[in-house]
Amino acid sequence: MNTALNLSSSPHARDKWTTGFIMRVVALSLLPATVVGVAVNGLHALLVVLLAVAAAVGAEFAFDKLCHKPDTWKDGSAVVTGLMLALSLSPTVPLSMPVIGSVFAIIVVKCCFGGLGKNFVNPALAARCFLLISFGRTMSTFQMVDGVSSATPVAMMKAGQAVDISKMFLGTASGVIGGSVLALLAGGLVLWALDIIHGQICFSVLGAFTLFMALFGGQGFDWKFLLAHLCGGGVVMGAFYMATDYVTSPVGKLGQAVYGALIGVLGALFRIKGGAADSFSYSVIIANLFTPLIDTYVIPKPFAFRRNAVRREGKVPLSQRIPRPVVVLTVITLVAGLALSGVYSMTKDTIDEQNRAARAASYQAVVPEADRIESDAALDQAVADLGGAVYGTGFGRSTINEVYVGADAAGEPVGYAISVTTADGFDGNITFAVGLSTDGTVNGIAFTELHETAGMGMRVDEPEFKAQFAGKAVSAFVLNKAGGSTEPEQIDTISGASTTSGAVVNAVNAALDFFQNVVKGGNE
Amino acid sequence: MKDTFRGGVHPAGRKELSREMPLREFLPTGEMVFPLSQHIGKPAKPIVKKGDAVLVGQRIAEADGFVSAHIASSCSGTVKAVEKRRVLTGGMMECIVVDNDGQFTPMEGFGRRQEPSAVTNDEILQRVQDAGVVGLGGAGFPTHVKLKPRDPQAIRFVIANGAECEPYLTGNDQLMRTRAAEIVEGLELTLRLFPNAEGVIAIEDNKPEAIAAMQGAASGKSRVRVQAMKTKYPQGGERSLIQAIAGVDFPLSKLPADVGCIVDNVGTLYAIQRAALYNEPLFSQCLTLSGEAAANPGNYIVRDGTSFAELLEAAGGVKAGVTLKKALAGGPMMGIALSSLDVPIQKQNNGLTLLADDPNEKAELQRTSCLRCGRCTTVCPVGLLPQLMAEAVLMGDLKRYETRLYGLECIQCGSCTYICPAKRPLMQTFKQTKSEILARKRAEGGAKK
Repeated sequence: MNTALNLSSSPHARDKWTTGFIMRVVALSLLPATVVGVAVNGLHALLVVLLAVAAAVGAEFAFDKLCHKPDTWKDGSAVVTGLMLALSLSPTVPLSMPVIGSVFAIIVVKCCFGGLGKNFVNPALAARCFLLISFGRTMSTFQMVDGVSSATPVAMMKAGQAVDISKMFLGTASGVIGGSVLALLAGGLVLWALDIIHGQICFSVLGAFTLFMALFGGQGFDWKFLLAHLCGGGVVMGAFYMATDYVTSPVGKLGQAVYGALIGVLGALFRIKGGAADSFSYSVIIANLFTPLIDTYVIPKPFAFRRNAVRREGKVPLSQRIPRPVVVLTVITLVAGLALSGVYSMTKDTIDEQNRAARAASYQAVVPEADRIESDAALDQAVADLGGAVYGTGFGRSTINEVYVGADAAGEPVGYAISVTTADGFDGNITFAVGLSTDGTVNGIAFTELHETAGMGMRVDEPEFKAQFAGKAVSAFVLNKAGGSTEPEQIDTISGASTTSGAVVNAVNAALDFFQNVVKGGNE
Repeated sequence: MKDTFRGGVHPAGRKELSREMPLREFLPTGEMVFPLSQHIGKPAKPIVKKGDAVLVGQRIAEADGFVSAHIASSCSGTVKAVEKRRVLTGGMMECIVVDNDGQFTPMEGFGRRQEPSAVTNDEILQRVQDAGVVGLGGAGFPTHVKLKPRDPQAIRFVIANGAECEPYLTGNDQLMRTRAAEIVEGLELTLRLFPNAEGVIAIEDNKPEAIAAMQGAASGKSRVRVQAMKTKYPQGGERSLIQAIAGVDFPLSKLPADVGCIVDNVGTLYAIQRAALYNEPLFSQCLTLSGEAAANPGNYIVRDGTSFAELLEAAGGVKAGVTLKKALAGGPMMGIALSSLDVPIQKQNNGLTLLADDPNEKAELQRTSCLRCGRCTTVCPVGLLPQLMAEAVLMGDLKRYETRLYGLECIQCGSCTYICPAKRPLMQTFKQTKSEILARKRAEGGAKK
């Protein structure tokens, strides 16, 4: 034998799949979603995608060259990162967004932590969150093809509005470029079938999310409600592409299931309780941070060391049949729940006290002539008779809370303060006091509970809006969306906050109705 | 009863190169070299010296202790030397060198068949030990040790391993096709030692002819049946078969007999039959010569001590126009890369695979950082987390490696290295780490004494 033989340890056979191949398959599986996104949103969306990918690859190339690293930009992971970032952006973002995002993802999140396989959060998601925080207004403007800006389906759901699930499923609703649930699902399921992504992750994300939504979403097992939430806000993108990112998810099967469930629960929790509509990104990022912890502690034993390693005769006690993570999770949930309710009950009295004080102050404010504010047994009874139900018809979801009489120094009534709450606000309840003089002229309104969008709904608390009610004696007010009102009953809406304005006008009308029919009716 | 185990990989089988080639006996002419350690356990002690005349089947080295095995000469001739020679692992080992006279004159006392009914159970055990039978699946564990578990009554399964899951290898396939009755007879002889056991012949389903032949031979035998197994590596691993057939997983600290199983390669069972009924020592076994660089792939019955080079030359050598990149004793998954073909064939060798292309060479160029994709976890037949194990080794955390990750349970099948898209040398790392940990333990144990 003339030539030397190669020596190495076994095995002397290798699978055909390489890192680059897997990255190419993942990128290809995102193609349907990209195509739908570009077809629906037009050329600008295509530019966003191309720029994001080019910037990601370019950034890694530059980093490799500058730091004299081996050419890692060729492995295709930068393409996937750029593509995933682009698909999670609004189609109308300025072209600087994908570039800034991709450079941040590759340089800061990936390369600075050691490159492929070393980043601790998903680069594409981190970049998205970075952009959301840094360029909030630009990033969360969603425009439809016809140039009309509209709320995303999840924002609409939060506002209690109806959404078109079929549009969301196909990807023609307002939202991100990769908004087509159908296309994402197709790509994701192919990846799952090829064993590239782990079913333990994506299905536990979807399962935990659905379950949590059904239990605590307030609508029960309403499939339309659940489906709408599953189709919106990047849940499918998150479950199949973001959560399954190899680098930032646990390696063990059990750990993967725990991690997936964590994402699902956090995503649903943020969706129900949180403010931002696109909170799913944050839930994945938070779960990413738990990955090292899970990998350290949630380690499945080798088959030989598991309880079922040997087929046994006889019954296994219940304590051994329940998997430990289930017990641990249950305990954590119980402890967290108890802590929450404990804090609530401890602070409840204080909060009530403060609310009462705030209300009392507001009553004084809307009946300024009064020396003191008194309660009236007959009126209290009338309010109690309402039973806290929605008041009347035509006032939206308004309820009358309480009524007080403002008396002068002689004890004669000079006005009334009616506290009213409407549930039609953009974000939770709006409560305020309506002050009326004895003849039914409105003195003014004063808010005690208001959580509307800053700069929009919140502006109902500005004098410009509130003053429209003062000094008017009408049977009911009318919301004037056109603005420039001339009639006394007309109230100009706050531009961009017609929901809030309408809710307030309805609630004022409810107070007027109560005054005319109960307070006056009862006294005469 | 299932037809497979958890995990595993699907390397290209390449069995078509040699599967239809009938077993041919190869008679060497050159000098024969018999290493003294061709089995797990203590090396044998030579009982011949330079100048002694030996015959085929004559014992030339004696077992040293219980876990050891006799070695018989496979040729007739004169002992030329007892000296260190290079063996297939690349190192030097004490060997008996015999000048082959080419006559293959057999020793008196073997070759005449005795009916099974005329042989007692004790005689079976004694003859297997005398014949120096070792496991022919690759490990070379002395068979007489395996056949004497603490409690023979507790053995539930005697598994005849005909899986042959290594790519390229087809020797067992041909053996089962042509020696089916003999293998079943060997299995029945073994079953006599274990009254409560069932005999299961496990064959991967890519060998339909072998399955049919074995089914034919096993029909009418109440204690023997054939089980077709899924084609998957390492199906032929002892633990994989036990997991599939007996439904039991057990740690490395236990032996198959501890969970009521005995696993013997079909070649070993054939050797048991020859030993028990013909009183014939083990000096030959089947071996597949295959690979893209082999001019004439084929299946051979080779005599121990034959040089790989001589066999290859007689079989037509390396294919014209092809460069031999790598030569393996065994198949590609567990085989040992040979630095030179001028080393002797040992009892447990079952293949000579000649590769025209070295996948490991290419893998070195394709290596990237670990993606943490988890494919290694999916394929591990033991249920380990190779990714975390490699990470622990990299961080120098051998305590976590050993206690939390059960790193020492690795059976070194190489599935993780095979599947890794980042081409990380996983199994190699574990092999090295295991020997480091064991060496440290030995040192600590010694220090305590």
